[in-house]
Amino acid sequence: MRAWRISLATAGILLGLYGVFRLLTNVGFVELLVLAAWLIGAVVIHDGILSPAVVAVGWFLARTVRPRARRYLQGFLVVGGLMTVIAVPLMLRKDTQPVSKAMLLQSYGANLTLLLALAAALSLLLYAIRVARRTTA
Amino acid sequence: MMAGVSILERLNGPRPERWPAFSSPVRSTALTARIGRVLGICFGICFVTGMLSYYQYAPWSWLPEPASPVWLYRFTQGLHVATGTATIPLLLVKLWSVYPNLFRWPAVRSLKHAAERLSVFVLISTALVQLTTGYLNTLNWYPWPWDFVSVHRFLAYVLIGSILLHIGLKLPDIKYGLAAELATADVLTEIPWSENPLAHSNAGDVPPPPTPALSRRGVLVAGAAGIGAVVVTSVGQTLTPLEPIGLLAVRQWTKGPQGVPVNKTADQAGIIAEASSGDWRLHVVGRNPYVLTLADLDELAQAEAQLPVTCVEGWSVGADWRGIPLLEVVRRAGGDASSRVRVVSLEQGLYGNSVVVGPQVSAALLATHLNGERLNLDHGYPLRLISPNRPGVLNTKWLSSVEVT
Repeated sequence: MRAWRISLATAGILLGLYGVFRLLTNVGFVELLVLAAWLIGAVVIHDGILSPAVVAVGWFLARTVRPRARRYLQGFLVVGGLMTVIAVPLMLRKDTQPVSKAMLLQSYGANLTLLLALAAALSLLLYAIRVARRTTA
Repeated sequence: MMAGVSILERLNGPRPERWPAFSSPVRSTALTARIGRVLGICFGICFVTGMLSYYQYAPWSWLPEPASPVWLYRFTQGLHVATGTATIPLLLVKLWSVYPNLFRWPAVRSLKHAAERLSVFVLISTALVQLTTGYLNTLNWYPWPWDFVSVHRFLAYVLIGSILLHIGLKLPDIKYGLAAELATADVLTEIPWSENPLAHSNAGDVPPPPTPALSRRGVLVAGAAGIGAVVVTSVGQTLTPLEPIGLLAVRQWTKGPQGVPVNKTADQAGIIAEASSGDWRLHVVGRNPYVLTLADLDELAQAEAQLPVTCVEGWSVGADWRGIPLLEVVRRAGGDASSRVRVVSLEQGLYGNSVVVGPQVSAALLATHLNGERLNLDHGYPLRLISPNRPGVLNTKWLSSVEVT
């Protein structure tokens, strides 16, 4: 395993340094500064805003919803959250391009609502089956 | 130097009073390793297909792009964008599973530990930026000053490098996590499993951690369902039969003129007047130069081919084309199948011309008709290149000349 670890790490460091070298030699100074801001900003937004918000929601649900129901609610929130992440940029960019590009022409807000409703209905159905089974057993 | 030592000492000292602590029995190295394995494969697919796409733009003269299978680029680039899109939610689930590690104390145990944490920062930041900017590129959204195409490539090297480094550093955890059973494996705690005397792996038969609400398997199922929903509702832009359920698809080929979307309109290219003029001519340059008029095109365009249009942004659609075989034009100018052919557009700028070499010279058409109709102005009227296994932007539109060398 040691040989594997050293080979992987060495290859990784060399490839990474090559990428940094290409960035530094091919991209302008101002662009690099903005890129650095993006790289730091991405981690700050993820670790400082998005993740604490998810933790807060989980913390709140753990204190307000009983475990059996919470399982299905959490399932819905995972599915719905992941779809929302992809849908939001589409909603923001809708109808910004010439029509013949045939892009971003849908009502993504309505589409997302439909998908969320489907996910909610499925979660409710699974929860209902679970409750019914437990009651009849 | 003194300041550096004191910061290190403080980060390695007693835990601050108000430092966050987590108790999350769902999180486990076993869960993270399973998600990470899929994530690694996805990034690998994106890296390889991405590099294949870059090769399309600058192939070595001794290794030209093949002309068959005609759908090769359609497959690799569709896979690139579909996988990249799916990797966004996947990465979020993976990062969720290790979020408490951010707050492990001591924050920095040694310089080696500091370097390891820095490498994780590089990994997470490049992964987030690479996926975000890649996705925004498919929406033609560029809220940054740098050139997307080159920075996406250079960041890919940094990203794949930090993934390899990460796998190397975490190999014992990966082996442990994949070998451990999902339901019973150690909870991710402040103390790494390998150093925790209470952990399963060290304490023997400890009862499995209770996960009263969503279980670890539940996280995988819900995550897979969410990612699956994203894939199924977006991949219709390249897996065309799935277009009717493409609720999150960027492109809809059925809404494109003549059943094919365009990436740059005639208006954007600024060629409407020249391209629609009756005086249009194609200048063929070579040993025996000649000129073709609109009337000549009608007479010569008798060949038909079924070839997909594939965009680097991940959408693609098959189409029926009619036109003049490129090889015919090349031969009349004194060239042959081994010629290097440069096609030049009325459009100025980066993609105003492209070079056809190797097998594609014999397989390409100079097209006049698309899906049974005369080319729409946005599709390159009066004449455009269409070649198999070739990115859309290199299928140059609104041709004004062909240079055979």
